[in-house]
Amino acid sequence: MSQLDFTVDVYQNEYLLDGGKDVNAVISVTAPQAVSAPAVTPDGAEIIIVDCSGSMNAPQTKMAAARTATTTALNGLRDGISFAVIAGTDRAQPIYPPDGSMAVADPRTRVAAKRAAVVCLRPGGGTAIGQWLRLAHHIFASKPSALRHAILLTDGKNEHETPEQLEEAIKLCEGVFSCDCRGVGTDWNVEELRRISTALLGTVDIVPDPAGLSADFAAMMKAAMGKRVADVALRIWTPRQASIRFLRQVAPAVEDLTDRRAQSGAQVGDYATGAWGSGETRDYHLCLQVAPVSAGHEMLAARVSLALGSTSAQHLLGQGLVKATWTDDEALATRINPHVAHYTGQTELAELIHEGLEARKDGNEDTAKIKLGRAVALAQSSRHDDTAKLLARVVDVVDAATGTIRLKKKVAQSDEMTLDTRSTRTVRTRK
Amino acid sequence: MIAGPRLSPTGACMSCGGPASPQDNFCESCGTELAPASVSNDEPAAAQACRVCPSAPVSGDGYCEVCGRKAPGSRDHQEVDLGLLAGVTDRGLRHYRNEDAMALATADTPSGPVALAVVCDGVSTSDCADEASLAAARAAIGVLLTAVRRGEDLPAASVAAVRSACEAVTSLDSPLGNAPSATFVSAVMSCAAVTVCWLGDSRAYWLASSPDSAAQRLTRDDSMAEELVLAGLLSEADALASPQAHIVTRWVGEGIDEVEPHVATFEPPGAGALLLCSDGLWNYQPEAGKLAELALPTALTDPPAAAAGLVNFALDAGGGDNVTVVLAPFPPTRSRLPRAPFPDGSGPIRCRGEAQQ
Repeated sequence: MSQLDFTVDVYQNEYLLDGGKDVNAVISVTAPQAVSAPAVTPDGAEIIIVDCSGSMNAPQTKMAAARTATTTALNGLRDGISFAVIAGTDRAQPIYPPDGSMAVADPRTRVAAKRAAVVCLRPGGGTAIGQWLRLAHHIFASKPSALRHAILLTDGKNEHETPEQLEEAIKLCEGVFSCDCRGVGTDWNVEELRRISTALLGTVDIVPDPAGLSADFAAMMKAAMGKRVADVALRIWTPRQASIRFLRQVAPAVEDLTDRRAQSGAQVGDYATGAWGSGETRDYHLCLQVAPVSAGHEMLAARVSLALGSTSAQHLLGQGLVKATWTDDEALATRINPHVAHYTGQTELAELIHEGLEARKDGNEDTAKIKLGRAVALAQSSRHDDTAKLLARVVDVVDAATGTIRLKKKVAQSDEMTLDTRSTRTVRTRK
Repeated sequence: MIAGPRLSPTGACMSCGGPASPQDNFCESCGTELAPASVSNDEPAAAQACRVCPSAPVSGDGYCEVCGRKAPGSRDHQEVDLGLLAGVTDRGLRHYRNEDAMALATADTPSGPVALAVVCDGVSTSDCADEASLAAARAAIGVLLTAVRRGEDLPAASVAAVRSACEAVTSLDSPLGNAPSATFVSAVMSCAAVTVCWLGDSRAYWLASSPDSAAQRLTRDDSMAEELVLAGLLSEADALASPQAHIVTRWVGEGIDEVEPHVATFEPPGAGALLLCSDGLWNYQPEAGKLAELALPTALTDPPAAAAGLVNFALDAGGGDNVTVVLAPFPPTRSRLPRAPFPDGSGPIRCRGEAQQ
């Protein structure tokens, strides 16, 4: 095993009954520890994008909190990292460095940037997030080989450009930089930010109270500085006549990667996963269909490896094998692997919350009650305490085990949005 | 390839080229073990071509790179020929892997050559049954070979070999909580007698070649079927057809600490062959006389061919289980050398000693 090797563990029941075609596996991938991978630590480039629309002034503490958070984030920059700060309204403006280049972090530039943030992050104008992304894209262009990451903060919806314009900007930025998105307050749109964070391989979260921004920015910057390996893709080989039904990230959060496939060989596809921190673990659920063979045969259903670099086939880090073995033994074939069962449940939990909240918004209370009730039961049985707590702020739990609930008459907007935003987060299986 | 004798037919150590005789168990010059045990799967052979896509490349870990099917691997089919005895083990037609294992060895003692063999069949309802059988066979043959070279008491050595096999099996991980286990049959054949030791339903048979001595089974199964027959509850045919027939009642592995293996000493009345086999063979022909008809007279002069013949018989009859056959002609003589491999390197796997002839 080389020092750069990712660890790939496969959990599955490989046994299929005669004629069986569906293969399910949970693939747990862990990045190497930083100490063993100094050679791959690339240069970093970081851009902080702060919403300066007029609404950031209501309440006034919001803009002030955003300034403080930006200062905190700037303090977290490692020396030598390239960085920039953008103010976003219905257009985008580089506030540091003001010429739209990138500065190199050192004590002097950090102070200068903090001053610029205090002076220039002022509310006034609209919201056109696509414009912000385009400027970040332009600025990052001077650092093509760096590990590029952005933090995007907004308090509102994308009102001053069309959804198509935003979509175009997202497409432009895909694969160029990763972006963690934060919504402060409750006037922004969860789906909108999720779309950006998903496409740009980042996270999305709500900061209901502006007072929480500083801590959140510090944590985001710490995570960004901890990234060690850039442009990692899951590379999956499958046999001829096999098809991938879906590939989902299932931990730390549910994320469908199926449509992210880029063909990289006759029977090989790559799925971008962005940058990885040292020792970071992510779990994936792979479901595929293979051409059945008679009992007594074994087939390699998928070979999963990690490809480093956007196009190179030469850096393959670690691999795991997903197998299919046909048998007459019904007891053997019908066993469900506990990891697969757990994450199937976690995915269902996220879907139930999403559908339940949608139904509630549409005034379809019966459906909302059923979906959210089942979500409560699933959260309890899978010991997902965080989600259980968030659910309890939206529904009155009568009996968690059976999923008996009542919809709360009055629900704080922030509670509903928090549940929506964090519904895709999962808990890992316990061994 | 399988580790085999390191003594060339011309009487030289294969390792240093120094002079050595068949009576030497170790090379006087370099200390190399000249007649080490050969254990199935000890050195995995390179995977062969895919049966479905013969022109497709096969990956280093043995899968066809086009259709994904497991290419026939080392353990699926193995043949070992040590001259004094030979064995063949095969995955069969219905199982996805070979959970049988065999270990063969020879030694030359002051009283003549000795043939040793162990056959184990992993209990498939236990975890890692394939590793269990291999670990058991490997551990046991080592104990037996040492005892033979030192001239120790063979029944006692056989029991010690079973103990050692037990330890090897219980030290394996059992990921699903079903303790790994395997059947066991060993035989040590000298010019005077055969010492047989067993647990479970792998068998030893004496196949007589002279009309005045009858072929016979030397072992009694530790199985539900055998118990039903012994209790007079069922005929052998009915018992074998019953669903419980193949549930073994004793084995090597966890949970049988107090159980003593069976040990028997058999003095062959004349020329013949000793057969060790897993139930993959005797399922299709349990009768000693019928097995003798199938194996003789080839087994007396060409044990690898006769062993392959018995395996093919089981495959032709359905190949429902893994099948392992070991044949040793009696009395053991050094007149027969291990057979050379096919000139082009294809075909059955042969032991290393021959490959260098």
